[in-house]
Amino acid sequence: MLTVRERTPSATLPAEDCSIVTRGLTKRFRSGQVAVDALDLAVPRGSVFGFLGPNGSGKTTTIRMLLGLVAPTGGAWELLGTPMPGGTAAVLSRVGALVEGPAFYPYLSGEANLRRYDAADPAADPRTASARIGLALDRVGLAAAARKRYRAYSLGMRQRLAIAAALLGPRELLILDEPTNGLDPQGTREVRGLIKEIAAGGTTVFVSSHLLAEVEQMCSHIAVMRTGRLVAQGPIAGLRAGEAVRIRVETPDLAEAAAVLAASGLAQVRTGDGEVSAELGADAPERICAALVAGGVAVRGLAVQRPSLEDVFVGLTGEGFDVNG
Amino acid sequence: MSTVSGQETVSIGTGAAPLPRARAVGALRAWLRLLGSEVGLTLRRPRNIAMLAVLALVPVLIGVALRTFGGPDETDGGPSVFGQVTGNGLFLTFAALSILVQLLLPVAVAVVAGDSVAGEAGLGTLRYLLAAPAGRTRLLGVKYANAVVFCLAAVAAVALSSLLAGVLLFPAGPITLLSGGTIPLLDGVLRIGVVVLYVTAGMAALAAVALAFSTMTEAAVGAIASTVGLVVVVQVLGVIPQLSVFQPYLLTHWWNGFDGVLRDPMATGEMGQGLLVFAAYIAVFGSIAWARFTGKDITC
Amino acid sequence: MSEQTRRGRAVRWGVPIATVALVAGAIGAGPVIAAVQGDPVLPERTAAQLLADAVRATESGVKPMSGTVMQTASLGLPGLPEVAGMGGTSPAALLAGSHELKVWYGGEDRFRFALPGRMSETDLIVNGDQAWLWESETNKATRIKGAGQAGQDHDRAMPMATTPQQVADEALKRADAGTAVSVSNTEKVAGRPAYQLVLTPRDGSSLVKEVKLALDGETFVPLRVQVYAKSAAEPAFEIGFTSVTFTPPAPDNFTFTPPAGAKVEEKTLADLGSRPEGGQERAEALKGGLTTVGEGWTTVAVLPFSTQDLKGPAQRQGDRPGGQDAAVVTDALLKSARQVSGAWGSGKVIQTKLVSALLTDDGRLLVGAVTPEKLTEAAGRR
Repeated sequence: MLTVRERTPSATLPAEDCSIVTRGLTKRFRSGQVAVDALDLAVPRGSVFGFLGPNGSGKTTTIRMLLGLVAPTGGAWELLGTPMPGGTAAVLSRVGALVEGPAFYPYLSGEANLRRYDAADPAADPRTASARIGLALDRVGLAAAARKRYRAYSLGMRQRLAIAAALLGPRELLILDEPTNGLDPQGTREVRGLIKEIAAGGTTVFVSSHLLAEVEQMCSHIAVMRTGRLVAQGPIAGLRAGEAVRIRVETPDLAEAAAVLAASGLAQVRTGDGEVSAELGADAPERICAALVAGGVAVRGLAVQRPSLEDVFVGLTGEGFDVNG
Repeated sequence: MSTVSGQETVSIGTGAAPLPRARAVGALRAWLRLLGSEVGLTLRRPRNIAMLAVLALVPVLIGVALRTFGGPDETDGGPSVFGQVTGNGLFLTFAALSILVQLLLPVAVAVVAGDSVAGEAGLGTLRYLLAAPAGRTRLLGVKYANAVVFCLAAVAAVALSSLLAGVLLFPAGPITLLSGGTIPLLDGVLRIGVVVLYVTAGMAALAAVALAFSTMTEAAVGAIASTVGLVVVVQVLGVIPQLSVFQPYLLTHWWNGFDGVLRDPMATGEMGQGLLVFAAYIAVFGSIAWARFTGKDITC
Repeated sequence: MSEQTRRGRAVRWGVPIATVALVAGAIGAGPVIAAVQGDPVLPERTAAQLLADAVRATESGVKPMSGTVMQTASLGLPGLPEVAGMGGTSPAALLAGSHELKVWYGGEDRFRFALPGRMSETDLIVNGDQAWLWESETNKATRIKGAGQAGQDHDRAMPMATTPQQVADEALKRADAGTAVSVSNTEKVAGRPAYQLVLTPRDGSSLVKEVKLALDGETFVPLRVQVYAKSAAEPAFEIGFTSVTFTPPAPDNFTFTPPAGAKVEEKTLADLGSRPEGGQERAEALKGGLTTVGEGWTTVAVLPFSTQDLKGPAQRQGDRPGGQDAAVVTDALLKSARQVSGAWGSGKVIQTKLVSALLTDDGRLLVGAVTPEKLTEAAGRR
């Protein structure tokens, strides 16, 4: 099995080029349960960083620690180059966040709710509040529902309002916990577009998700959590490259095919139902094909399998990963 | 230190560090903006408006009852202050406050102060306020200031509606003090102002207790019920003669200690002691709330 | 790192702990500050010198002053309902708990006492030949006629709630051969350095352990009287200033005009003295039958009496303010009585911390600040 786990991200990437850096970040709850175990994250500036993992793998606890909501029991972390939690007041104004779903005052309108959160930020300029709130609502497509009470919002509208709250000010970093939860396919597409647009403006976006497809479509980097531990992290292309390309032969002559593949020097030869596969390595598929034909194997089909992220994750997390949502 | 406290530094911008003075002014302005938001939220909330309305209604009911059925006979041994209401409307304020301060005012204050942190935690809005970042100490300070503003609003609502009802239902004029002397009406209104401030201070002390409870739970009802329960228990303890030694340390003992304003000369001794007790409660429970809130994991 | 978390938590919780310590310190600061300041040192005086000074000070007249007097009684009256049913300003209420009395003293014939209650106040204002009793509870102002000597006379009518001066005079009178007297010069009362005279009964059968009398170090005005019973460490009865200033009080304090709407009554001192109907006559009758046994601290008063006598007036008083309380007290006392008998006969004994009473079945009442044994002994000496 491959390991792309980078125990020392600062060695590969200078800390000042990262929006988020954690070193050995650990959270052990009073119950003794270790929610996050010695996490070393390095989120490059300007990246769209997918934070993947099954439910309960410690993603939300990590995000809560990053935002100073939960005190780590060990380790250190930096946001935008500032050591935390000392820099909380100075840094968090430049960080937009969506944590574990939307939370608003039901008896206030969407606009009044945003004004409330804006008032809590000491760095927010009250003179520009109305303009910024209007812009944020506009960006998530809630301008028309701005005066409606939050109580009357649909699930999707609530999620959008939470994203709008994260976009209230000029942000250098967005931390979005499951941003497409509760959205219909159309809404999901819109949010994905919004994230790409924000990232294009130079803002780092840290997106947690248990949906592989979502991450695959918009992220430049990913990290994978499994039961509180980081099992992989890096550029999405690099992770794919880590997994071996395999050649798959459909044939009735299983034993002969396996023998030819082994004789051609391929590793990991596996015999399945009506097919035989092996790691292709650096070999050219056409050479293998020729060898099979020469060996008298009835080749009904031949395929070169590039690894999908799904394969990578199932391999890494080793369990039923909710890949389809 | 890997704790989530220490959010005292307040930046007012991402640009170059401004002068310390401008920084302080900016921080104060931002603090007041948050307090304004908090007070607006409290006073716009239907539940709180209803509580203020009930508080304002009680003096009117007392006034109408006294007007309709007359004051208690002296031989009843009832509180003389009720008898004096019929002679002078201004006394309705003292009568109403001395009744409401026993339970109804504390309940209203417990609801608002007990809800302040726990309510936000239950709603989930607390995590967004802290991520804004409101700052834990700063937010707690604003929450407490808001509770004190509500205390003042509640006490003032009672005082104003009593004044109004008293003046409309009964003759108003120079006030006869408990010591037998007489002071002009305006002087009497001023003394009512002193009582309003004193009772507000007493309620502010309770608000500190409720705030401390509020930081310990995610269920606002729990914090509110604990505070009200504590008030009732302490009221009961306060009338057990065998425990009279503890009376001076009980918060409730001092709440209606404002009759000194009705003496000549104004007896400030008891009120002064009461204020010291209130200050002690605020300091103790305020610091407990702070220690709890700044070290608390926000997991909801 | 988790070590640091623990340290952070300790630092945080240190703040409320320090606050609690600070508050506790502030509560206990009185004694602490007094200890730090050290005992006030006054020039040493013998008991005789001190008494002479005190008498001299009394003769030349007490200086104008004002202050707050606290009276605390824990007489150990059995079964007394201490709070319930006791109006804050009724005289019977003074038998238990603590009571505050405000005093403004402008001179021999200008003074004001105020007994504050919850949302009520009872005032006695004497200004020359003008004297008023104001009771806010009943909205009643009583003009007392013949007030020339009103002060002293009225005070005697209210034996529990008088100023330390009068109580001290009483104590000084009793100092005699049966008393050990000592003096300390390190007391502090109402923030003022004071001498303390300690009078200890020599007779072992007295219930009184000692009487402490604190005199102001400068003016020799009695500031506090404490009566200690043998059975308790805390004083059974205490009256003393909690704050005092020796400056003439504002003249407003001595003027009184009945407020509009108040009931105004006129009474003579004789009226006030005979509050319980027929009390005057009864008192006369009692005086006739009164004998004493023993002397000094262990004097036992013997009067002809019956339980019916005790109940009668109390019930008649029922409709008067305070009368109800008197009845309650009487009932409570009788209920606690213990049956005793001996060669002298039989009867009921009521014992409190300071006073014992014996009601014999042959119709005598023996009262004294002595042990019940001493009473039965006196009962045998007919």
